[in-house]
Amino acid sequence: MEKLIAVIKRELGIWSRRPIYMAGSVGVMACCCIFYLSFLEEGVPSDLPIGIVDNDNSSMSRNFIQQLDATQLGRVVMYNDFAEAREDMQRGDITSVCVIPHGMYADVQAQRQPTFTFYVNTLYFLGGSLSYKDILTLVNLTSGAVTRQVMRMKGMGDAEIMGKLRPVDVDVHMIGNPTMNYGAYLANTLLPVMLEMIVIILTIYCLGTELKYGTSRELLALTGGDFHAAIGGKLLLLTGLYTLIAWTLMFLLYGIMHFPLACSIGWMLLDSFLMVIASEAVALVILSCIPVLRFALSVGALFSVLALSLTGFTLPLEAMPGPIQGIAELLPMRHYYLMAVRCGMFDGGFALCYKEILHMIVYLFAPLPVIWRLKDAYIKLDYIKK
Amino acid sequence: MKFIDYMKGWFRDFWKGFGGELRTIFSDGGVMIIFTVAGLGYPILYNYIYLNGTLDETPIAVVDDADCFESREYIRQLDATREVDIAFRCENMAQAQELMAERKVNGIVLFPSDFGEKMLRHETATLSIYADMSSFLYYKNLLMSTNMVMLDKAHSAVSVQAVPYEENIPYNRTFAYNIFLLSAIFLLVIQQVMFYGMCMVEGTKVEENRLHENRGGLRIFWARSVAYWLIFMGLGLYIACIVPAMFGLPQRGAFGDIFSLLALFVTDCVFFCMFWSTFFRRRESVFVLYLFMSPVCIFLTGFSWPASAIPGIWKVVSYFIPTTFGCRAFINMNTAGAALSSNVHLMWLLLLQTAVYMVASGYRSLRR
Repeated sequence: MEKLIAVIKRELGIWSRRPIYMAGSVGVMACCCIFYLSFLEEGVPSDLPIGIVDNDNSSMSRNFIQQLDATQLGRVVMYNDFAEAREDMQRGDITSVCVIPHGMYADVQAQRQPTFTFYVNTLYFLGGSLSYKDILTLVNLTSGAVTRQVMRMKGMGDAEIMGKLRPVDVDVHMIGNPTMNYGAYLANTLLPVMLEMIVIILTIYCLGTELKYGTSRELLALTGGDFHAAIGGKLLLLTGLYTLIAWTLMFLLYGIMHFPLACSIGWMLLDSFLMVIASEAVALVILSCIPVLRFALSVGALFSVLALSLTGFTLPLEAMPGPIQGIAELLPMRHYYLMAVRCGMFDGGFALCYKEILHMIVYLFAPLPVIWRLKDAYIKLDYIKK
Repeated sequence: MKFIDYMKGWFRDFWKGFGGELRTIFSDGGVMIIFTVAGLGYPILYNYIYLNGTLDETPIAVVDDADCFESREYIRQLDATREVDIAFRCENMAQAQELMAERKVNGIVLFPSDFGEKMLRHETATLSIYADMSSFLYYKNLLMSTNMVMLDKAHSAVSVQAVPYEENIPYNRTFAYNIFLLSAIFLLVIQQVMFYGMCMVEGTKVEENRLHENRGGLRIFWARSVAYWLIFMGLGLYIACIVPAMFGLPQRGAFGDIFSLLALFVTDCVFFCMFWSTFFRRRESVFVLYLFMSPVCIFLTGFSWPASAIPGIWKVVSYFIPTTFGCRAFINMNTAGAALSSNVHLMWLLLLQTAVYMVASGYRSLRR
């Protein structure tokens, strides 16, 4: 115990002299929170620019344009000809182009079925998909309004007309994010991914600098040559710091931002704590396998950024090739995410997420077969400078 | 004569600085890991990760309380869509809910008991869908498939559609993830790999008191820039031209246009990285402090989150990052097939950014 306290005291001294520890953990996390939460504050993007080429210039086309402009998603940009609009769409300045055909109003009156055409640029994914949805809704509404007029003139009742125009209505329930808040969707997973990166990188850095600056023997002297006490003291302090950051993050997301959460916050605290210690174990494995700070940091960075894709919160994992699905299981973030879904969205409790808990606990055993390499490096200090 | 001697001296120093910088880069193992694994390997890995592009056949459960011809027909049509697969037919909602919590299905479709009756009476029948929002693609698939079947019913109920429509989704017909994401992150990989690599090299020079290698006036500054420029033009051509060809991604731009963009973008990145790398005093700091910048840059480019919805302050920040203009120009030219002439404004912005960073990095290099 005294050995641990001695190591922790020494570590605190280093942290107070070198601001990189606090900047690399608390500072980076604070920057990420400020960025993502302010960037995604709006929840759902609104007023997406939609180009209109109005070849008809009738009361009907103007009515359509006004209605499209009045939707929350759309903002109309008028063009004189299609070539101009197409070029702007190709440049990503507008999300889509609607072409209202010549004589649309006259054709509708004469029941000649004028064809309405629209083009969507889905390379700007979210803007494209949302405006696609917006345009599709409005075109169907316009077409429906015309048909309703015709049916009314034929003497049909409104209920019957609606049954014909809209035989089926889809009542949508969004489980886990009822307002389709992109902020909650992205920040809920992106911020923990950032935390995972911080944990892996800073743990490698904290343990590896002893090798780089040749101070590991000084550290071992403090514990009377007890390597595990030396590492344990360092990791204990790091775990405390990371857990504090993780729990603050959870309170920020679910307490202050009020992002939807089905279970008690206790599950999320447990989930984030397990993710922190599992990521520390991963960092320990990397540094033990490559006990050279410069290489280990590069490998740690390359490994931890994979979590952005392989967590599977954007494109789900099942849409990826088999071997990739296997690699994803190696990432603590994947298990954090699964547990967050099972608990936070479906309130599954222990019965549903025990596998993820076990997975993350198994990580703690991963360094055991390789930790002797780090011990060797700490004692021998045969650090490669180049 | 004096001028010739001056030029000879200039080129000698330039050559020395150029060779020295290349030696420094290639003898640094940490930098080489980043350059080879992240620069050469990750573009291939990411292509492999997103190889399928779309999420198809999302498993869903159906609870058919109506149990009539209409609901069964609807279910068959749903099952026939690319988006969803009817994996389970449940007796009641409790069963379906359980399946969803276990993540065996990612959506539920419930047909209420009056579904068929209402359809036969020509009233609007309502069906309910419950989507797992852990990934918005599940929701999109469930919504799109039910809506498409619904629209099909609507169109067949009304014999003549007043205003038929024709939809065109020219550059990415199936809303594929790989086509939209990869064409944007290719240039991001170039910038980030260069940034981390150069910051490591410069941090090491400070640590090992080797900053004198950077001294020697503008000729050394140019020499170092050219060393990085050549490496990253090679890497850039591989990432922007060879990798997409290997994986059959769209390459609609003219080679000359793409090459011009790449040359300007890499030049911009070189000075951008040279400027910021002068602030690093230790080689590891860049990973500890700036690893989180890659996803931030993705958001700031405006291809995932619409540029029109980016808050003002972050728009200003984005103007200081090369990928903001580079990625957009690459998406437009390479994937949407726009001509260089229609992206001139982005090229001008890149050029302006290059000029600013060139002056700033030159000044910082000379002052050190």
